Amino acid sequence: MLIEENPDGIHAADLVVGIPSYNEADLISYPTQQASEGLVRYFGGKNSVIINCDNHSTDGTREAFMNTPTEVSKIYLSTPPGVRGKGNNFKNLFKKSCDLGAQAIVVVDADLKSITPRWIKNLGEPLFEDFGFVAPLYVRHKYDGTITNNIAYPMTRCLYGRRVRQPIGGDFGFSGELAEVYLRQTDWTEAIAEFGIDIWMTTTAMCYGTPICQSYMGRPKVHKPKDPGESLGPMFLQVVGTIFDMMIKHANFWQGVRWSKPTAIFGFGLGEMEMPPPVDVNIQRLYDKFQAGFADYGSLWKEILSTSLFKKFSEVRALPLSGFEFPANLWAEMLIDFGVAYKNRVNQKGKLLESLIPLYFGRTCSFVIESEPMTIQQAEELIEEQCEVFETAKSYLLNNWSE
Amino acid sequence: MKKILIVDDEEVIRMLYGEELEEEGYEVATAGSGHGLMEMIEREKPDLVILDIKMAEHDGLDLLQEIRKSFYNIPVILCSAYSSFKGDLKSIAADYYVVKSADLSELKQKIKMALEGQIPSQPALK
Repeated sequence: MLIEENPDGIHAADLVVGIPSYNEADLISYPTQQASEGLVRYFGGKNSVIINCDNHSTDGTREAFMNTPTEVSKIYLSTPPGVRGKGNNFKNLFKKSCDLGAQAIVVVDADLKSITPRWIKNLGEPLFEDFGFVAPLYVRHKYDGTITNNIAYPMTRCLYGRRVRQPIGGDFGFSGELAEVYLRQTDWTEAIAEFGIDIWMTTTAMCYGTPICQSYMGRPKVHKPKDPGESLGPMFLQVVGTIFDMMIKHANFWQGVRWSKPTAIFGFGLGEMEMPPPVDVNIQRLYDKFQAGFADYGSLWKEILSTSLFKKFSEVRALPLSGFEFPANLWAEMLIDFGVAYKNRVNQKGKLLESLIPLYFGRTCSFVIESEPMTIQQAEELIEEQCEVFETAKSYLLNNWSE
Repeated sequence: MKKILIVDDEEVIRMLYGEELEEEGYEVATAGSGHGLMEMIEREKPDLVILDIKMAEHDGLDLLQEIRKSFYNIPVILCSAYSSFKGDLKSIAADYYVVKSADLSELKQKIKMALEGQIPSQPALK
């Protein structure tokens, strides 16, 4: 049962800013204030509302949100007690936005520390022009967003042919029309109800002919970054599982995609980009977790990977940390083998995804070592080169998918 | 025959690239600056544009934005003697970025990829 608090009795809105949350009492006020300022400054002529879509937080998130002084009206929505998941929050947001008749919806994370009113403008304005989906474009530290850099970005680009640098950025804009499309989809899974929601939204937009653009935010995304070796948890399984599920669902579409195309860019002229704060990564821990994976999953990997790939992979395993390298082409083909196995081994999906985690640690360890002497810009070039490796590996995917 | 427009303020580059690409079977048009470039694209209707960045009178990255506004679907390859512009976020609006070299094999490969690139016509929102 949806829980709603709507003190101003808002029944219609042109533009909605949604802030999904779970236990973000300490941080949610700031993005709420910035959203309100952005709506007033840049969308003064439109009916706007800010919606906190929450997972029934117990730390006072609702009070922190509702008590934040704003010029714009606020609505609090929550899943019932005990029902978690970012995707469930989004589903409530989709429904509410459609009920309000919103033309445009902007969502921003509740833990954002670097958001400015301009973010609301840049994520929202294209939706009143020709675009139906807006992804953020911001500078992140080279070690932040490792699932994005090593899996989500290269895989979506290779599969669907659209270059969206932050497909799971968490801060998006989408049209009311696309919100209705999202609501009508019947492939809702437990993973999408949680952290799979971001990649699901981006991929769905790509596969339904939605005009997509990327928008400069002008400031780096500063939130609560995590060391990828320290805390990864279910997020990896949900994001990667959703990528593979979407791969199956949209196979007819991506099989017709050849190479990739740049995406329209919005929001030039913001001046120099600020550099993001550093992120610490413990490469010894990544390496150890990679090596430890062999004991648990070595035999499964041997079944999944092609003979030649497993041979190359065994060479990587033998490398000491001081000379460790997990090449991008090997990583791309391994992910492809996993995607194919995920399609074919219906009863082993959970274990397959779990077994991919140590390999991801290995690739991340290699990426951190290789990019250590690089500037953020040089590391970006490395990520772009990795994407081209993935695109080149697509013929390997096409050959193996239907066998 | 696919037509390629080369925009570069160095005549020798226009000639070298033009000859090589004609040998590859492309029709080539050239422009020595960004003056009247949009009109030229409208007139010549190239299938692809090769665009220098650091030109005497124009910034190729600004021209790229102009091209994207008016001719969104034409592939553009940035071709510069400098790799440092890859770090400029504006450059991601290009299909590819190639550092100038006497060996044109990378440029030719990227031209092929840009011309072959396809995304199937997608169903409208439903």
